[in-house]
Amino acid sequence: MAAEKSQGALTGGQYEAEDVLADAEPWDPIETKLVVWSFVIAVVVLIIGLFIVPTSILN
Amino acid sequence: MTSVNRKWYSGMLTQEDWWAVWLGLFFFGLGLLSIAGVDLVGWAVYPKKWVFNVPEGGTGSISHAFYALGSKYSLTAKAFYKGLGWWSIIWTYVIFTIATCIGAYCMKWDLKRYFVGWTIIYFLTIATWFVGHHAFFAANKTNWHKYGLNFALSLGGGASFILALIIGLIIGNFFKGFASYLSEAAKPEWFIKTAIVFLGVKVGYLPIKAAATSAKLGHQMADLTGHLFLAGAVATIVAYMIFWPGVYLIARRIFKLPRKTAAVLGSGISICGVSAAVATGGAVRAKPVVSIMVSALVVVWAVIELVVLPGFFTHVWPGTSDPLVAGSAMGMAVKTDGADAAAGDLLDEFLRNKIEVETNGRVKWPEGVITTSAVMTKVWIDMFIGLWAFVLAMVWVYKIDRRPGETVMASEVWHRFPKFVLGYFTAWFIYLAIFFLNGAGAPEGMHVLKAAKAGAVPVEKGFRKLFFMLTFMSLGIITDFSKLAEAKFGRMVWVYFVALFLFIIPVAVIIAYLFHHGMTIPNIAG
Repeated sequence: MAAEKSQGALTGGQYEAEDVLADAEPWDPIETKLVVWSFVIAVVVLIIGLFIVPTSILN
Repeated sequence: MTSVNRKWYSGMLTQEDWWAVWLGLFFFGLGLLSIAGVDLVGWAVYPKKWVFNVPEGGTGSISHAFYALGSKYSLTAKAFYKGLGWWSIIWTYVIFTIATCIGAYCMKWDLKRYFVGWTIIYFLTIATWFVGHHAFFAANKTNWHKYGLNFALSLGGGASFILALIIGLIIGNFFKGFASYLSEAAKPEWFIKTAIVFLGVKVGYLPIKAAATSAKLGHQMADLTGHLFLAGAVATIVAYMIFWPGVYLIARRIFKLPRKTAAVLGSGISICGVSAAVATGGAVRAKPVVSIMVSALVVVWAVIELVVLPGFFTHVWPGTSDPLVAGSAMGMAVKTDGADAAAGDLLDEFLRNKIEVETNGRVKWPEGVITTSAVMTKVWIDMFIGLWAFVLAMVWVYKIDRRPGETVMASEVWHRFPKFVLGYFTAWFIYLAIFFLNGAGAPEGMHVLKAAKAGAVPVEKGFRKLFFMLTFMSLGIITDFSKLAEAKFGRMVWVYFVALFLFIIPVAVIIAYLFHHGMTIPNIAG
């Protein structure tokens, strides 16, 4: 519970110098999905936005 | 994942996250009372630029370096708040000491140590705010003469943030025993989340403020504001959905960082810096040091952007040919609210000066439009903090942290949800509702909107900036660079550099161009 509480906090007493840059996990397919879907959403919103926003370069 | 028997309301009185909501909404509620004619927030302290020797006909008397915001904005108690002057520092101290001590007591902190630490941090912050508003640090080029200066750093309110961080870092790194004592009250996470709830007031209040501006500049201005609002929203969604995965890819595939670190970095560089890093750190349950490292990087790089980008956008590209592309790109590229607003303001000054010089005074742009374009995209990006933290929490709970045979309770999503977002949206929607329910800027509803403004400004301006200052100071105090060095901080600096200058800024400029190219600012000359 204590460990749970400390996660994600910036509070001083919970500060620990840990090497958080090491031990990278192998790339997981879910990460591919996360990245790809983010880009897909960006493209879809971009296309719709270019049509509906009156100040866009298309208008 | 271990199953922990927690109710949906667990932690409401014992977690910083919830106490940011209570604190934020309490003062938001006090601000709302102005609609009923009761101004209970006008005591909010706020600094003004000052100089030791005011030139003849100039401004910046040291005796007016602090004032109560109610002295300017209150409709019902202006005279009273005018009398407070520097005493507004004490009023603000007493009221926030009581409020935060109640929170500290409920969270079972060492109350005596918190009280002493809070008092020291508060007055250090106020002293820093004061120094940071010396005209040499804060005055923009067009105002130098008012303060009798031939040169100033032109950092706007950003100077105070930088100074607060520096002073905090000096304490945190050279007076470690003192920093350790102060750590009971140095709570950047609590302060920034509370500031984000106050930011919700700012977002909701924006249309109310715009209504007043439109009345002055006519329909042309109203149309422009509306267009900026829509273009900013779409540009921000597109930009963010490219920024985050792009930075995540860079961090994971090129720099080989672990997932949680890459996720926090992705949010920190992509969205609104410190608060995004904290929110994402909470959502994916990253180790505390990750949020601290990213927050420190965000602050330092934002300062560098603040110094570099306004000059670049003014003198290299796009200049006066596309001022709103520059403003909008600034909002997407500069990663803290304070630095972005300061950079937008600086850009506003630079470009307005430039167009006047280029046209021999035949074209003059109203002050603040370019700043608005910078702040507008920033505000939309701010809204993504909660939404994206929620999406990432879902992905981490259901896909990444989940192990074979393990079930994840639906309530886990709720427990991971950053609660301060609730306060942020509540404040935003209620002010938005006030705007639309009172004529959306029509003359018959303006008296209500003006009353709402009197209560909103001390919260969105005074309290928010104060809590941002407290955040920067506390962040410095608890940041020990020797420990960060042990954690190979330098590598993250390079990730940030590559992502920001080779990816974020170019993409921000392209997207800003796609949605803002050709937008013109009304000419108010003659």
